[in-house]
Amino acid sequence: MFDKLKEIIAEKLGAEVDEITEESRFKEDLEADSLDLFELVMAIEEEFGASIPSEDLEKLATVGDVIEYMKKQGIEG
Amino acid sequence: MKSSVTEILGCEYPVIQGGMAWVAEHNLAAAVSEAGGFGIIGAASAPADIVREEIRKCKALTDKPFGVNVMLLNPNADEVADIVIEEGVRAVTTGAGNPAKYMEKWKAAGVKVIPVVASCAMAVMMERAGADAVVAEGMESGGHIGSTTTFALLPQVVDAVKIPVIAAGGIADGRGMAAAFMLGAQAVQMGTRFVAAKESIVHANYKEKIVKAKDIDSTVTGMSTGHPVRCLRNKMTREYLKMEKEGVELMELEKLTLGSLKRAVIDGDVVTGTLMAGQIAGLIKSEESCSDIIKGIVSGCEKVIGEYK
Repeated sequence: MFDKLKEIIAEKLGAEVDEITEESRFKEDLEADSLDLFELVMAIEEEFGASIPSEDLEKLATVGDVIEYMKKQGIEG
Repeated sequence: MKSSVTEILGCEYPVIQGGMAWVAEHNLAAAVSEAGGFGIIGAASAPADIVREEIRKCKALTDKPFGVNVMLLNPNADEVADIVIEEGVRAVTTGAGNPAKYMEKWKAAGVKVIPVVASCAMAVMMERAGADAVVAEGMESGGHIGSTTTFALLPQVVDAVKIPVIAAGGIADGRGMAAAFMLGAQAVQMGTRFVAAKESIVHANYKEKIVKAKDIDSTVTGMSTGHPVRCLRNKMTREYLKMEKEGVELMELEKLTLGSLKRAVIDGDVVTGTLMAGQIAGLIKSEESCSDIIKGIVSGCEKVIGEYK
Protein backbone atom coordinates (compact mmCIF):
# COMPACT_ATOMS: atom_id res chain seq x y z
CA MET A 1 0.00 0.00 0.00
CA PHE A 2 2.82 2.36 0.88
CA ASP A 3 4.16 2.47 -2.67
CA LYS A 4 0.79 3.33 -4.15
CA LEU A 5 0.19 5.89 -1.41
CA LYS A 6 3.59 7.46 -2.08
CA GLU A 7 2.71 7.72 -5.76
CA ILE A 8 -0.55 9.50 -5.00
CA ILE A 9 1.10 11.88 -2.54
CA ALA A 10 3.89 12.63 -4.99
CA GLU A 11 1.43 13.36 -7.76
CA LYS A 12 -0.93 15.51 -5.70
CA LEU A 13 1.74 17.49 -3.86
CA GLY A 14 4.26 17.73 -6.68
CA ALA A 15 6.86 15.90 -4.56
CA GLU A 16 9.44 13.24 -5.46
CA VAL A 17 8.47 9.67 -4.56
CA ASP A 18 11.93 9.12 -3.02
CA GLU A 19 11.60 11.95 -0.51
CA ILE A 20 8.37 10.56 0.97
CA THR A 21 8.70 8.41 4.09
CA GLU A 22 6.22 7.36 6.76
CA GLU A 23 7.62 10.14 8.92
CA SER A 24 7.04 12.86 6.30
CA ARG A 25 4.78 15.58 7.65
CA PHE A 26 2.32 16.89 5.05
CA LYS A 27 2.49 20.53 6.02
CA GLU A 28 6.06 20.96 7.20
CA ASP A 29 7.99 18.51 5.00
CA LEU A 30 5.84 18.25 1.89
CA GLU A 31 4.60 21.85 1.99
CA ALA A 32 0.95 20.95 1.57
CA ASP A 33 -1.62 23.63 2.30
CA SER A 34 -5.16 22.93 3.48
CA LEU A 35 -6.51 22.72 -0.08
CA ASP A 36 -3.82 20.18 -1.01
CA LEU A 37 -4.93 18.02 1.91
CA PHE A 38 -8.56 17.99 0.72
CA GLU A 39 -7.29 17.03 -2.73
CA LEU A 40 -5.12 14.26 -1.30
CA VAL A 41 -7.89 12.80 0.84
CA MET A 42 -10.23 12.62 -2.15
CA ALA A 43 -7.57 10.79 -4.17
CA ILE A 44 -6.78 8.36 -1.34
CA GLU A 45 -10.47 7.59 -0.86
CA GLU A 46 -10.85 6.89 -4.54
CA GLU A 47 -7.80 4.63 -4.75
CA PHE A 48 -8.21 2.62 -1.55
CA GLY A 49 -11.95 2.81 -1.00
CA ALA A 50 -11.26 4.40 2.38
CA SER A 51 -13.61 6.85 4.02
CA ILE A 52 -12.00 9.88 5.65
CA PRO A 53 -14.56 12.35 7.00
CA SER A 54 -13.36 15.93 7.01
CA GLU A 55 -13.43 16.16 10.82
CA ASP A 56 -10.61 13.59 10.88
CA LEU A 57 -8.32 15.59 8.61
CA GLU A 58 -6.60 17.30 11.53
CA LYS A 59 -5.50 13.93 12.91
CA LEU A 60 -3.56 13.10 9.77
CA ALA A 61 -0.29 14.97 10.14
CA THR A 62 2.12 12.46 8.63
CA VAL A 63 2.11 9.84 5.90
CA GLY A 64 2.31 7.19 8.65
CA ASP A 65 -0.88 8.60 10.23
CA VAL A 66 -2.73 7.95 6.98
CA ILE A 67 -1.46 4.36 6.82
CA GLU A 68 -2.53 3.75 10.44
CA TYR A 69 -5.91 5.35 9.76
CA MET A 70 -6.55 3.08 6.82
CA LYS A 71 -5.38 -0.03 8.69
CA LYS A 72 -8.06 0.71 11.26
CA GLN A 73 -10.57 0.58 8.44
CA GLY A 74 -9.20 -2.80 7.47
CA ILE A 75 -7.37 -1.47 4.40
CA GLU A 76 -3.91 -2.99 4.11
CA GLY A 77 -3.57 -2.60 0.37
CA MET B 1 -36.07 36.99 -6.97
CA LYS B 2 -36.10 33.52 -5.41
CA SER B 3 -33.51 30.75 -5.53
CA SER B 4 -32.63 27.74 -3.43
CA VAL B 5 -30.33 30.02 -1.42
CA THR B 6 -33.06 32.54 -0.54
CA GLU B 7 -35.04 29.54 0.76
CA ILE B 8 -32.13 28.41 2.95
CA LEU B 9 -31.42 31.90 4.25
CA GLY B 10 -34.98 33.20 4.45
CA CYS B 11 -34.19 36.40 2.57
CA GLU B 12 -35.82 38.12 -0.37
CA TYR B 13 -32.90 38.43 -2.79
CA PRO B 14 -30.00 36.03 -3.47
CA VAL B 15 -27.47 38.69 -2.49
CA ILE B 16 -25.19 38.05 0.47
CA GLN B 17 -22.81 40.47 2.12
CA GLY B 18 -19.38 39.01 2.86
CA GLY B 19 -18.25 38.65 6.48
CA MET B 20 -15.24 40.95 6.26
CA ALA B 21 -13.11 41.44 9.38
CA TRP B 22 -13.68 44.84 11.08
CA VAL B 23 -16.05 45.93 8.28
CA ALA B 24 -18.92 43.49 8.62
CA GLU B 25 -20.34 44.71 11.95
CA HIS B 26 -23.96 44.98 13.04
CA ASN B 27 -24.89 48.22 11.24
CA LEU B 28 -23.87 46.89 7.83
CA ALA B 29 -25.30 43.40 8.36
CA ALA B 30 -28.63 44.81 9.56
CA ALA B 31 -28.84 47.27 6.65
CA VAL B 32 -28.22 44.49 4.13
CA SER B 33 -30.80 42.17 5.70
CA GLU B 34 -33.34 45.01 6.01
CA ALA B 35 -32.86 45.69 2.29
CA GLY B 36 -33.81 42.09 1.48
CA GLY B 37 -30.29 40.69 1.12
CA PHE B 38 -28.50 38.55 3.69
CA GLY B 39 -26.22 40.46 6.05
CA ILE B 40 -23.32 38.79 7.83
CA ILE B 41 -21.39 39.79 10.93
CA GLY B 42 -17.71 38.96 10.53
CA ALA B 43 -16.53 37.48 13.82
CA ALA B 44 -12.93 37.53 12.54
CA SER B 45 -10.64 37.57 15.58
CA ALA B 46 -12.99 39.57 17.81
CA PRO B 47 -13.38 38.42 21.43
CA ALA B 48 -16.39 36.15 21.90
CA ASP B 49 -18.37 38.60 24.07
CA ILE B 50 -18.02 41.28 21.38
CA VAL B 51 -19.42 38.85 18.81
CA ARG B 52 -22.41 38.17 21.05
CA GLU B 53 -22.93 41.90 21.51
CA GLU B 54 -22.75 42.48 17.75
CA ILE B 55 -25.38 39.79 17.17
CA ARG B 56 -27.70 41.35 19.75
CA LYS B 57 -27.22 44.85 18.32
CA CYS B 58 -28.02 43.50 14.86
CA LYS B 59 -31.22 41.89 16.17
CA ALA B 60 -32.23 45.24 17.64
CA LEU B 61 -31.95 46.82 14.18
CA THR B 62 -33.69 44.15 12.13
CA ASP B 63 -36.20 41.32 12.53
CA LYS B 64 -34.89 39.73 9.35
CA PRO B 65 -32.45 36.83 9.39
CA PHE B 66 -28.72 37.44 9.22
CA GLY B 67 -25.58 35.36 9.62
CA VAL B 68 -22.17 35.24 11.24
CA ASN B 69 -18.87 34.44 9.55
CA VAL B 70 -16.73 32.28 11.79
CA MET B 71 -13.02 32.61 11.12
CA LEU B 72 -11.73 29.18 12.03
CA LEU B 73 -8.16 30.25 12.76
CA ASN B 74 -9.46 32.43 15.56
CA PRO B 75 -8.50 30.90 18.92
CA ASN B 76 -12.03 31.82 20.08
CA ALA B 77 -13.71 29.89 17.26
CA ASP B 78 -15.04 27.22 19.67
CA GLU B 79 -16.73 29.87 21.76
CA VAL B 80 -18.11 31.76 18.76
CA ALA B 81 -19.45 28.47 17.39
CA ASP B 82 -21.55 28.09 20.55
CA ILE B 83 -22.65 31.73 20.61
CA VAL B 84 -24.24 31.53 17.16
CA ILE B 85 -26.31 28.59 18.44
CA GLU B 86 -27.29 30.30 21.69
CA GLU B 87 -28.30 33.46 19.84
CA GLY B 88 -30.31 31.56 17.23
CA VAL B 89 -28.38 32.92 14.25
CA ARG B 90 -29.86 31.76 10.94
CA ALA B 91 -26.65 30.79 9.16
CA VAL B 92 -22.89 30.71 9.47
CA THR B 93 -20.34 31.05 6.77
CA THR B 94 -16.87 29.82 7.61
CA GLY B 95 -13.46 30.89 6.43
CA ALA B 96 -9.81 29.97 6.87
CA GLY B 97 -10.19 26.27 7.41
CA ASN B 98 -12.30 23.20 7.90
CA PRO B 99 -15.53 23.66 9.93
CA ALA B 100 -16.26 19.91 10.10
CA LYS B 101 -15.86 19.70 13.87
CA TYR B 102 -18.73 22.17 14.45
CA MET B 103 -20.98 20.83 11.73
CA GLU B 104 -22.91 18.35 13.86
CA LYS B 105 -23.90 20.78 16.60
CA TRP B 106 -24.76 23.56 14.17
CA LYS B 107 -26.96 21.23 12.16
CA ALA B 108 -28.61 19.90 15.31
CA ALA B 109 -29.43 23.48 16.34
CA GLY B 110 -30.86 24.31 12.91
CA VAL B 111 -28.08 26.73 11.99
CA LYS B 112 -27.47 26.66 8.24
CA VAL B 113 -23.81 26.04 7.42
CA ILE B 114 -22.14 27.58 4.38
CA PRO B 115 -18.37 27.09 4.17
CA VAL B 116 -16.33 29.29 1.88
CA VAL B 117 -14.37 27.00 -0.43
CA ALA B 118 -11.54 27.57 -2.88
CA SER B 119 -11.48 24.14 -4.57
CA CYS B 120 -13.78 21.36 -5.73
CA ALA B 121 -12.30 18.79 -3.34
CA MET B 122 -13.00 21.06 -0.40
CA ALA B 123 -16.55 21.68 -1.65
CA VAL B 124 -17.19 17.94 -1.92
CA MET B 125 -15.81 17.27 1.57
CA MET B 126 -17.98 20.04 2.98
CA GLU B 127 -21.09 18.73 1.22
CA ARG B 128 -20.40 15.29 2.67
CA ALA B 129 -19.98 16.76 6.14
CA GLY B 130 -23.47 18.26 5.85
CA ALA B 131 -23.04 21.80 4.51
CA ASP B 132 -26.25 23.44 3.25
CA ALA B 133 -24.46 25.37 0.50
CA VAL B 134 -20.94 26.55 -0.28
CA VAL B 135 -19.48 29.89 -1.29
CA ALA B 136 -17.08 29.39 -4.20
CA GLU B 137 -14.72 32.31 -3.84
CA GLY B 138 -12.34 33.25 -6.61
CA MET B 139 -9.03 35.04 -6.24
CA GLU B 140 -10.49 38.31 -7.56
CA SER B 141 -11.83 38.81 -4.04
CA GLY B 142 -10.40 41.20 -1.53
CA GLY B 143 -8.69 39.97 1.63
CA HIS B 144 -7.45 36.40 2.03
CA ILE B 145 -7.68 34.59 -1.28
CA GLY B 146 -7.19 31.24 -2.99
CA SER B 147 -5.55 30.88 -6.37
CA THR B 148 -8.36 30.08 -8.84
CA THR B 149 -10.52 32.73 -10.49
CA THR B 150 -14.28 32.88 -9.97
CA PHE B 151 -14.88 32.32 -13.68
CA ALA B 152 -12.94 29.04 -13.60
CA LEU B 153 -13.75 27.84 -10.08
CA LEU B 154 -17.51 28.43 -10.04
CA PRO B 155 -18.69 26.08 -12.83
CA GLN B 156 -16.33 23.36 -11.61
CA VAL B 157 -17.68 23.56 -8.06
CA VAL B 158 -21.24 23.65 -9.42
CA ASP B 159 -20.54 20.37 -11.22
CA ALA B 160 -18.80 18.82 -8.20
CA VAL B 161 -21.61 19.20 -5.64
CA LYS B 162 -25.40 18.91 -5.47
CA ILE B 163 -25.89 21.62 -2.83
CA PRO B 164 -26.37 25.23 -3.98
CA VAL B 165 -23.28 27.26 -4.81
CA ILE B 166 -22.89 30.94 -4.02
CA ALA B 167 -20.47 32.89 -6.20
CA ALA B 168 -18.00 35.35 -4.69
CA GLY B 169 -15.10 37.33 -6.06
CA GLY B 170 -15.25 39.91 -8.82
CA ILE B 171 -18.98 40.62 -8.61
CA ALA B 172 -20.23 44.17 -8.05
CA ASP B 173 -23.15 44.74 -10.42
CA GLY B 174 -26.04 43.08 -12.23
CA ARG B 175 -23.89 41.87 -15.10
CA GLY B 176 -21.57 40.05 -12.73
CA MET B 177 -24.53 38.54 -10.93
CA ALA B 178 -26.09 37.40 -14.22
CA ALA B 179 -22.78 35.86 -15.30
CA ALA B 180 -22.52 34.01 -11.99
CA PHE B 181 -26.05 32.66 -12.47
CA MET B 182 -25.15 31.52 -16.01
CA LEU B 183 -22.24 29.57 -14.52
CA GLY B 184 -24.63 27.83 -12.16
CA ALA B 185 -24.58 29.96 -9.01
CA GLN B 186 -27.77 30.27 -6.93
CA ALA B 187 -26.71 33.50 -5.22
CA VAL B 188 -23.84 35.98 -5.09
CA GLN B 189 -21.77 37.25 -2.22
CA MET B 190 -20.21 40.70 -2.44
CA GLY B 191 -17.62 42.23 -0.17
CA THR B 192 -15.98 45.28 -1.69
CA ARG B 193 -19.27 46.71 -2.93
CA PHE B 194 -20.58 46.72 0.65
CA VAL B 195 -17.36 48.11 2.12
CA ALA B 196 -18.26 51.25 0.18
CA ALA B 197 -21.95 51.21 1.21
CA LYS B 198 -23.41 54.25 3.04
CA GLU B 199 -24.24 52.15 6.11
CA SER B 200 -20.73 50.68 6.27
CA ILE B 201 -18.74 52.09 9.21
CA VAL B 202 -15.53 52.01 7.17
CA HIS B 203 -13.61 55.29 7.34
CA ALA B 204 -14.40 57.78 4.55
CA ASN B 205 -10.75 57.74 3.39
CA TYR B 206 -10.91 53.99 2.75
CA LYS B 207 -14.25 54.25 0.93
CA GLU B 208 -12.84 57.04 -1.21
CA LYS B 209 -9.92 54.79 -2.17
CA ILE B 210 -12.37 52.14 -3.38
CA VAL B 211 -14.54 54.62 -5.27
CA LYS B 212 -11.46 56.08 -6.96
CA ALA B 213 -9.77 52.74 -7.62
CA LYS B 214 -9.10 51.70 -11.21
CA ASP B 215 -9.08 48.19 -12.66
CA ILE B 216 -5.42 47.47 -11.92
CA ASP B 217 -5.18 49.08 -8.50
CA SER B 218 -5.27 45.93 -6.39
CA THR B 219 -2.26 43.81 -5.61
CA VAL B 220 -1.55 40.65 -3.61
CA THR B 221 0.78 40.59 -0.64
CA GLY B 222 2.01 37.43 1.04
CA MET B 223 2.15 35.12 -1.99
CA SER B 224 5.49 33.80 -0.71
CA THR B 225 4.28 33.24 2.84
CA GLY B 226 1.32 31.10 1.80
CA HIS B 227 -1.19 33.66 3.09
CA PRO B 228 -1.99 35.84 0.10
CA VAL B 229 -4.07 38.96 0.75
CA ARG B 230 -5.56 41.17 -1.94
CA CYS B 231 -5.66 44.87 -1.18
CA LEU B 232 -5.34 48.23 -2.89
CA ARG B 233 -1.84 49.43 -3.62
CA ASN B 234 -0.40 51.95 -1.18
CA LYS B 235 2.82 52.63 0.72
CA MET B 236 2.27 49.54 2.89
CA THR B 237 1.92 47.17 -0.09
CA ARG B 238 4.93 48.73 -1.84
CA GLU B 239 7.13 48.18 1.20
CA TYR B 240 5.71 44.73 1.82
CA LEU B 241 6.24 43.53 -1.75
CA LYS B 242 9.75 44.96 -1.82
CA MET B 243 10.64 43.19 1.42
CA GLU B 244 8.98 40.00 0.20
CA LYS B 245 11.10 40.09 -2.94
CA GLU B 246 14.22 40.54 -0.84
CA GLY B 247 13.28 37.44 1.13
CA VAL B 248 12.82 39.25 4.45
CA GLU B 249 11.75 37.04 7.38
CA LEU B 250 8.03 36.50 7.94
CA MET B 251 8.31 38.11 11.39
CA GLU B 252 9.52 41.35 9.81
CA LEU B 253 6.77 41.27 7.20
CA GLU B 254 4.16 40.75 9.86
CA LYS B 255 5.24 43.92 11.62
CA LEU B 256 3.94 45.83 8.60
CA THR B 257 0.52 44.23 8.70
CA LEU B 258 0.03 44.03 12.46
CA GLY B 259 -3.17 45.99 13.15
CA SER B 260 -3.06 47.41 9.63
CA LEU B 261 -6.64 46.49 8.69
CA LYS B 262 -8.00 48.22 11.77
CA ARG B 263 -5.85 51.26 10.96
CA ALA B 264 -7.46 51.44 7.52
CA VAL B 265 -11.06 50.67 8.53
CA ILE B 266 -11.31 52.61 11.79
CA ASP B 267 -8.58 55.30 11.63
CA GLY B 268 -8.73 55.90 7.88
CA ASP B 269 -4.98 55.41 7.55
CA VAL B 270 -4.77 54.74 3.81
CA VAL B 271 -0.98 55.04 3.78
CA THR B 272 0.17 52.30 6.17
CA GLY B 273 -3.20 50.53 6.53
CA THR B 274 -4.30 47.42 4.62
CA LEU B 275 -7.04 48.46 2.18
CA MET B 276 -8.53 45.05 1.51
CA ALA B 277 -10.54 45.19 -1.71
CA GLY B 278 -11.27 43.00 -4.70
CA GLN B 279 -10.25 43.50 -8.33
CA ILE B 280 -13.76 44.74 -9.03
CA ALA B 281 -13.19 47.89 -6.93
CA GLY B 282 -12.63 49.79 -10.18
CA LEU B 283 -16.27 49.23 -11.11
CA ILE B 284 -17.56 50.90 -7.95
CA LYS B 285 -18.16 54.58 -8.65
CA SER B 286 -20.06 55.88 -5.66
CA GLU B 287 -21.12 55.28 -2.10
CA GLU B 288 -24.69 53.97 -2.17
CA SER B 289 -27.12 52.68 0.42
CA CYS B 290 -27.41 48.91 0.85
CA SER B 291 -30.96 49.09 -0.41
CA ASP B 292 -29.90 50.87 -3.63
CA ILE B 293 -27.01 48.44 -4.10
CA ILE B 294 -29.19 45.36 -3.72
CA LYS B 295 -32.13 46.65 -5.78
CA GLY B 296 -29.70 47.88 -8.44
CA ILE B 297 -27.84 44.61 -8.78
CA VAL B 298 -31.01 42.52 -8.83
CA SER B 299 -32.76 44.68 -11.45
CA GLY B 300 -29.52 44.89 -13.44
CA CYS B 301 -29.22 41.11 -13.38
CA GLU B 302 -32.82 40.63 -14.54
CA LYS B 303 -32.37 43.17 -17.31
CA VAL B 304 -29.18 41.53 -18.62
CA ILE B 305 -30.71 38.05 -18.54
CA GLY B 306 -33.90 39.36 -20.21
CA GLU B 307 -31.97 40.98 -23.03
CA TYR B 308 -30.12 37.81 -23.94
CA LYS B 309 -33.02 35.41 -23.91
